[in-house]
Amino acid sequence: MNELITAARKRGRSQLNEVEAKDLLADAGVPVAKTRLATTADDAVDAAESIGYPVVMKVVSSEIAHKSDIGGVVLDVSDADAVRATFDQITTSVSSAIPDAEIDGIAVQEMVPQGIEVIVGATTDMQFGSVMMFGLGGVFVEVMKDVAFRIVPLEVRDAKQLVREIDGFPLLQGARGTEPADLDALESLILKVSAAVEENPEIAELDLNPVFAYPDGVMAVDAHIVLTAEDD
Amino acid sequence: MPIDQSRLHRALNPSSVAVVGDKGPDYQWLTNQKHFTGELYSVQLDEKEIPNIEKMGVRNYLSLNEIPDEIDLVICAVPRAITPYVVADAIEKKVGGISMFTSGFAETREPEGVALQEKLVEMCTDAGMPLVGPNCLGIYNRKLGVKFGVGQEHGEGGDISIISQSGTHGMGMTNGAQSVGVKVRRAFSFGNGVILNESDYLEYLTNDPETSAIAMYLEGTRDGRRFFNVLREATKQKPVIIWKGGRSTAGTRAVSSHTGSLASSQSVWDAMLKQTGAIGVGSIEEAIDAMAVLVHTKEPVGRDIALVAMTGGQSVAITDQFENYGFNVPELGQDSYDRLAEFFTTVGGSYRNPFDAASTIRSESENLQKILEIIADEPIINGGVALEFRSRGFEKPEDIESILDLLEQYRQKTGQPVILMMPTFGVMTGDPEEAANVRNRIVDRGFAVFPSFERGAQALSRIVDHHSS
Repeated sequence: MNELITAARKRGRSQLNEVEAKDLLADAGVPVAKTRLATTADDAVDAAESIGYPVVMKVVSSEIAHKSDIGGVVLDVSDADAVRATFDQITTSVSSAIPDAEIDGIAVQEMVPQGIEVIVGATTDMQFGSVMMFGLGGVFVEVMKDVAFRIVPLEVRDAKQLVREIDGFPLLQGARGTEPADLDALESLILKVSAAVEENPEIAELDLNPVFAYPDGVMAVDAHIVLTAEDD
Repeated sequence: MPIDQSRLHRALNPSSVAVVGDKGPDYQWLTNQKHFTGELYSVQLDEKEIPNIEKMGVRNYLSLNEIPDEIDLVICAVPRAITPYVVADAIEKKVGGISMFTSGFAETREPEGVALQEKLVEMCTDAGMPLVGPNCLGIYNRKLGVKFGVGQEHGEGGDISIISQSGTHGMGMTNGAQSVGVKVRRAFSFGNGVILNESDYLEYLTNDPETSAIAMYLEGTRDGRRFFNVLREATKQKPVIIWKGGRSTAGTRAVSSHTGSLASSQSVWDAMLKQTGAIGVGSIEEAIDAMAVLVHTKEPVGRDIALVAMTGGQSVAITDQFENYGFNVPELGQDSYDRLAEFFTTVGGSYRNPFDAASTIRSESENLQKILEIIADEPIINGGVALEFRSRGFEKPEDIESILDLLEQYRQKTGQPVILMMPTFGVMTGDPEEAANVRNRIVDRGFAVFPSFERGAQALSRIVDHHSS
């Protein structure tokens, strides 16, 4: 069993937090934004120095679904003083919004440029087991539910078809004068996530939301993994 | 449970069949086997029934073990409480397999039925006994005349085999296929599927050299992972049409991810069909239509089609439907237009593609031949020709065969599909009995004919997708 999953299980947890999920996926070859967990303001400064400024700081808690709604995400933090101030600011606003929330710490993440937002996920179907989902992020997934599925493990052909099956596919091809997204990199990310899900049967659900697709490469910016019940 | 393939093959291709517990007044199961090519026996204890069974010319015995011959297949129709005794006798006699019509098992969700089914499963598992059902119509084998409905054809040939969870739909798909000129080689109605399930039958038919295509009716699958793998292998060798019944959301569970909340069982099923390359359909009509195109056209790959309608209004309607299903109705080349201009009646007609051809064909019946020759020579057309047939009633009964000859020539020359449509709501549908007669003659000649433009377009589109994916 993957050591991150073993460690989470030992602590009685049923999920991997953002930093653990990203570590697991990075080990599987998935491009993820560099992220470290800090439990003190000094930790956070160390993390930011090693990642390089500016950074993004986010609260890490499995009990908080919409972290930006409660002041749990701050972008573009540009020096050590700002990191310390932001650490306190996030801690204060989260604990005033949800006083009992169990907080793992604050994630310090490299600031990545905006790309086309997509979502890559996995879940467990009652009949077919692990399946993967792909869609465009934001309103496309929230409102239009413009997503497509494939059963794990995906073959190269499946990844290609999955990406092309959504109605919004022309947006990835560079509609309205934007540069086209790097589809090869996107398909490669999907295949690596498929392999990671196949290799770790303890992964019941997974969201990479968003993944940024660039003209040259892709990067997962947020990640969340739910584990199967212990006795499964 | 892994079933010995040679034993399964013996049960599904029997030289001897014993029907246990068939009853009057109609003796359904013995009657179904009237054309069975092997040895037929009956097992019945009821003294009231025995004379009638013997009157049918069937040898009756008081138990399976008294039959002097080896038995390849037992068809069991006894009341459910008796089934364990029949299974025990069948195991002792080392029969090939059992097809169990008897119902009242786990499908009732009553403790008694559930327990009885568990007992059968245990007995058959221990003995390695292939059990079809229970709660099913069982086995149809065209070549051997083993049937689960008297309307099922027997003899040589066979284009397609059918697997159905439901007996009704297994029968409906067989009869429907026959009615459009598709010969069904085998059908399995498997009911509760406790020993042999959908994946076992699919695997068997994948390896069956006499089955060139497969059609299935399913409401779900017991072991989705295995079904996915078996189906993926099957579609590498032959086309598989799947009609799934039920849009149930059963099995919905708590999820805490975005992905989980979006993954309905239907969306995953649809993805599974795409991923395996199966041909998904949503009704029995769509299943039969797809079979008809699959069997009656050679691998169509093109989407540039010629449409021949008989009125202006119908030439618009037929074009809408074919375009709606992704076909192109291209303009023809100047050479073709020059040739058409020589004879085509353009007052009340048009040859741009779509063709509005009634007045031209009516004035001179050889004109249809000219039109078809020009379409056949037209390099831009790669998806064949779809024709509105007989909606104006001018194709006289004596002309039907020669029109079909022309269409056959087109098909031979181009290797492209010919789709005929006799719209139910045509201009002049005429005498329904005569229309049915014409339809049967079309089917006998091996053409696919549909009651609406939409069904023709949809069915052809599915098969083009299948062959080009």
